[in-house]
Amino acid sequence: MDFAAIHDHLKAIGAPGLLGADEPRPADKKAKDPGRSGDPYLLIDCARIVDFLLVCRDDPKLSFEILADITASDPAADDEHFWVLLNLLSIEHKHRLALKGLLPKANPVLPSATKVYRAAQWNERECAEMYGITFEGHPDPRNILLPDDWVGYPLRKDYEFPKEYHGISCE
Amino acid sequence: MGLLENAFEENVLTTKVDWLLNWARLNSIWPMTFGLACCAIEMMAVGAAHHDIDRFGAGAFRASPRQADLMIVAGTVNFKMGERVKRLYDQMAAPKYVIAMGACATGGGPYYKFGYTVMKGVDRIIPVDVYIAGCPPRPEALLEGLMALQQKIRRTPVIRRPARTA
Amino acid sequence: MTIEETGQKGSIQLGTESRILPSGEREFMLDVATSDIELNMGPQHPATHGVMRLLIRTDGELVTGVQPHLGFLHRCAEKIGENVEWLQYLPYTDRYDYLAAMNNNLGYSLAVEKLMTGLEIPQRATHLRTICAELNRIASHLIAFGTYGLDIGAFTPFFYAFREREWIQALFEKICGARLTYSYIRIGGVFNDSPPGWLQEVERFCDVFEAKWQEYYDLLILNHIFVKRTANVGVIPPAMARDFALTGPMLRASGIDFDLRRDMPYMDYGEIYEAGAFQIPLGSGEKGTVGDCWDRIYVRMKEMIESLGIVRWCLGSIEDGPVIGDIPKVLRVPNGECYVGIENPRGELGHYLHSDGGKIAIRCRVRGPSFVNLAVLEDIMPGTLLGDSIAIVGSIDIVIGETDR
Repeated sequence: MDFAAIHDHLKAIGAPGLLGADEPRPADKKAKDPGRSGDPYLLIDCARIVDFLLVCRDDPKLSFEILADITASDPAADDEHFWVLLNLLSIEHKHRLALKGLLPKANPVLPSATKVYRAAQWNERECAEMYGITFEGHPDPRNILLPDDWVGYPLRKDYEFPKEYHGISCE
Repeated sequence: MGLLENAFEENVLTTKVDWLLNWARLNSIWPMTFGLACCAIEMMAVGAAHHDIDRFGAGAFRASPRQADLMIVAGTVNFKMGERVKRLYDQMAAPKYVIAMGACATGGGPYYKFGYTVMKGVDRIIPVDVYIAGCPPRPEALLEGLMALQQKIRRTPVIRRPARTA
Repeated sequence: MTIEETGQKGSIQLGTESRILPSGEREFMLDVATSDIELNMGPQHPATHGVMRLLIRTDGELVTGVQPHLGFLHRCAEKIGENVEWLQYLPYTDRYDYLAAMNNNLGYSLAVEKLMTGLEIPQRATHLRTICAELNRIASHLIAFGTYGLDIGAFTPFFYAFREREWIQALFEKICGARLTYSYIRIGGVFNDSPPGWLQEVERFCDVFEAKWQEYYDLLILNHIFVKRTANVGVIPPAMARDFALTGPMLRASGIDFDLRRDMPYMDYGEIYEAGAFQIPLGSGEKGTVGDCWDRIYVRMKEMIESLGIVRWCLGSIEDGPVIGDIPKVLRVPNGECYVGIENPRGELGHYLHSDGGKIAIRCRVRGPSFVNLAVLEDIMPGTLLGDSIAIVGSIDIVIGETDR
């Protein structure tokens, strides 16, 4: 199924938290729109993410058994949202779906997807330590790639590189 | 050598004894298996049959630092690993040598800029004897570094007092 | 299960009976309550395939819990992606999965090219890309085979694997100058055309390798001791494989028939599969259970032969022409975001790129297959013996550069 068909099917079965779609469009000089290339993304509500993923996984027409990736992005230092990006893959139907949710930087909390996919566990730990996002209900929220006493969230756009760590200069 | 270290004045006998001790040491430098990143694969290639490191006497890679003479730091050292590098270096018994293999161990490598958790050179925590450039260095470059280390060992005064510099 | 869930108590409980031995003595059985030990299979270890720390809780020889610790090779690849230009990022892509650097370059280049709508990749470039990616797959699986033998205790396959690998590295050195981190597959095509005689040498390699492969297969994979150590060990049932988002040989070893090259084809792979040049090997539990360690190494070995088929097809249909499209020195990628996943020797390597039309990416996310595949260790290692744990870690075939990025 291509993106339009998946989107229509999700709308038809009333998937919880579905907000809209962000599709590629050509550039429009008159409207000063740079256009958008690449993949279409489905916009979802972060608070209802677990129910939405359950629908994606269990519905027989979609059957997205594999959570290929769950990550986050900080589009700009002055943007007030993080983007939470997921990518689902279906082995049975051989299609992909890309999801995007907006998370306010003031309160970056959303439920953890580990109940739905076990693969989310380590990816969410990485998101949490890189952006400072809290995944509620995560069974093991420790740092995974950074040292346990690392200060700051490195992948945020306003991150300041450290000057030293445990007495060793970072310059 | 303990009590005998640098104890005797330089004469024909001590030079010959030193030559013998250094000859024994440089022909049997046993490295520690310390491959961290991509340079480790080139180190494995040096250990394999085509570029044989065993012909230098250095083919016995020991996993335990207590049995090794040489630590070839092959790969990027970051802060999390750096603590372990220091600990392993301290566990090695003297005389011990360190080769910093590759650009990352020498000075941070391609991760010098924007690598917030990368240590810019392993010589910030341990003393390095030989630096080998390359990303990754060719196996022949590692062998040349080993030969440079052997040259360094050849010049080391062991039981004779080192020449005084004015 | 986590270390906390396994509990603190020892589990050896013997009965409190006694019996009379034939010699007339009375033998008593006593309760011996031992406690579990926590072992550190530390970052420096010959069998962890790089710098990974495994905190293992064992009850004697039986592993009751494991906690992998990563981050010892975290090199901030994603932050670097947000700070350097598109073309400058290519050398960093080599260095995550350094055993399959061509595939990493390919994944990144395909992702950028997807954003640059209207970019034409020349046919010769596509064929050269495919040949290099598949040769690199063979080289990577050779290391998997050699080092797995080393972990199990067989030293000889390591030297044989490196002999073939030296040939492949010499081929790559002729075409792009580097032995390990190539930066050869670039945005728009490939960097250099093949020198004269290179394609003939690749053909000669294919012929020689096929005979050698049979030798290695019989030497290690069918070896009785190897089979005993890897069959029925570390079984990953298909439901668990899906839940943990395993991809690549790990998924196929559990019997699930899915390969991105055939099912969601990129470049020319669809056409190559239609021509019958390669098949997808699956694990079938031939020596034990479906999804055990033997199946995983079996799938990797068979994939090497299938890669030879792909290389031969490309050699047969390659034509002369340019090798790189029209790419400016300072590249500005149009506004947009995309995710492209390709079949790396270890699984699905995904690049998510977000561009705002400028010289530098806004977000460059790398989905490393080794990172995702390694998570399964927490569930399959408890309950095995310590020697089996080494076999399991080796069969996942991780590269720490990709796990930590």
